[in-house]
Amino acid sequence: MAGPVASETVLLKACDCLTPFGDSAETLAALLRGERALQLRPVLGREGGDPVPLALLPGRALDETAPPSWLAHVRTLLAPVNGAGWGTARRPVFVTSSNFGAGSLYAYRRSGDAAHMEYGALVNCVGWLREQLGWQENVAIFSHACVSAHLGLLQASRVLQAGLADEALVFSFDFLSPFVSGGFHALKILNADFPAPYQARATGSIGLGDGAGYVVLSRTSGDFSIVAQSMYNEMHHFTANQPDGAGFEACLAPLASQAAGRRLWLKGHGTGTLDAGRMESGAFAEVFAGAPLVGWKGSLGHTLGSCGLVELALALAAIRHGRTPGTIGSGAPTFTAEVALDSFANDSYDGVICASNAFGGAHAALLLSHA
Amino acid sequence: MTDPLITRLKHLIVDTLHLDGVTPDDIDEKAPLIGSGLALDSIDALELVVKIEKEFGIKIGSSEESRQALASVASLADFIRTRTGK
Repeated sequence: MAGPVASETVLLKACDCLTPFGDSAETLAALLRGERALQLRPVLGREGGDPVPLALLPGRALDETAPPSWLAHVRTLLAPVNGAGWGTARRPVFVTSSNFGAGSLYAYRRSGDAAHMEYGALVNCVGWLREQLGWQENVAIFSHACVSAHLGLLQASRVLQAGLADEALVFSFDFLSPFVSGGFHALKILNADFPAPYQARATGSIGLGDGAGYVVLSRTSGDFSIVAQSMYNEMHHFTANQPDGAGFEACLAPLASQAAGRRLWLKGHGTGTLDAGRMESGAFAEVFAGAPLVGWKGSLGHTLGSCGLVELALALAAIRHGRTPGTIGSGAPTFTAEVALDSFANDSYDGVICASNAFGGAHAALLLSHA
Repeated sequence: MTDPLITRLKHLIVDTLHLDGVTPDDIDEKAPLIGSGLALDSIDALELVVKIEKEFGIKIGSSEESRQALASVASLADFIRTRTGK
């Protein structure tokens, strides 16, 4: 599927995120200072293993607990918007994640403690979360690896545009566990090196980070809007992109007409892997030539399924603040000249393209602008 | 004379990846393992890397190193010899 799907815009009534630095304002400030949340930690938590770059919320250990240690953080994040009748017919909730506490299944396998099973599968996890947060029954679940948040945004937008709801809460979360970090370590893309998104170097590597974010979408209220969204799935392979990178451009190209006449900056996916970074930055340079491209996973790590919402909240905060953080952790030479290593003033820009990519050649992008 | 490490690796590949209809003798040690040749994919590569690390007590540090090592059976043998010093 490709093409802008938003024939009319949806408004952002509220939006925020949670990273190891704090909320979106605190995270933006840290990024503008050039700080890196990633720290080298044992890949398997208390069981040790190679040191790899992980960014965990303050006070949270990598190892699973029952109940999950991230619940308190989620409550704090959602406090400004929760408790107002979410999950009703006209105010649906869209929950997205790439792993939904799959680490709890692994914890059960390791420990034999059945308490982990309450959170260890998609429906169990969201059902428990719904009870904890007081949501009613109208809660939809979407998962598509690292474009999960974008998929939730797209579906929520469609519901609003069809007049089926007045407002929608899209919530996305991904908290790390030994299961997740061990998996990426086995793939050899999570190793002792810190990520350097879009930098042309000999070996690529990523970092992983805890992350969660939300947005309240509305048809009538909000000072920023998602003008258009695009998703494209190559269906090429379980993990790999098409070697020619055509899927990146296929996703971005439909947004070009929506963006015509606007001066844009670009928030890319930029995990730190070489092939995908080269293809993504190349596609950006082709479709939006000259627009500065930044990626923030060199500091925050890859927050997986939540990254689309986490980085949307940060892009929004950056526009409000008037300054965009640079591509922290990277240096010259970069894959394209458009990669911005340093922060820059953004008050002369008209919007930002926020993009995410996922295993198997799944691509997503949206255009965020003032309403 | 047949290189015993090459022979061992061919058996390991067939056994680990359960390659139906492929025997160790069918594998050309110079042919690419990934994409063409045996047409292994990245999931196969992951399984193979995990098996090789356990079997030979070595570490493959990055996806680029993995790709280089898995270029062919011959290059995999060279990589293992370099790492184990044997």
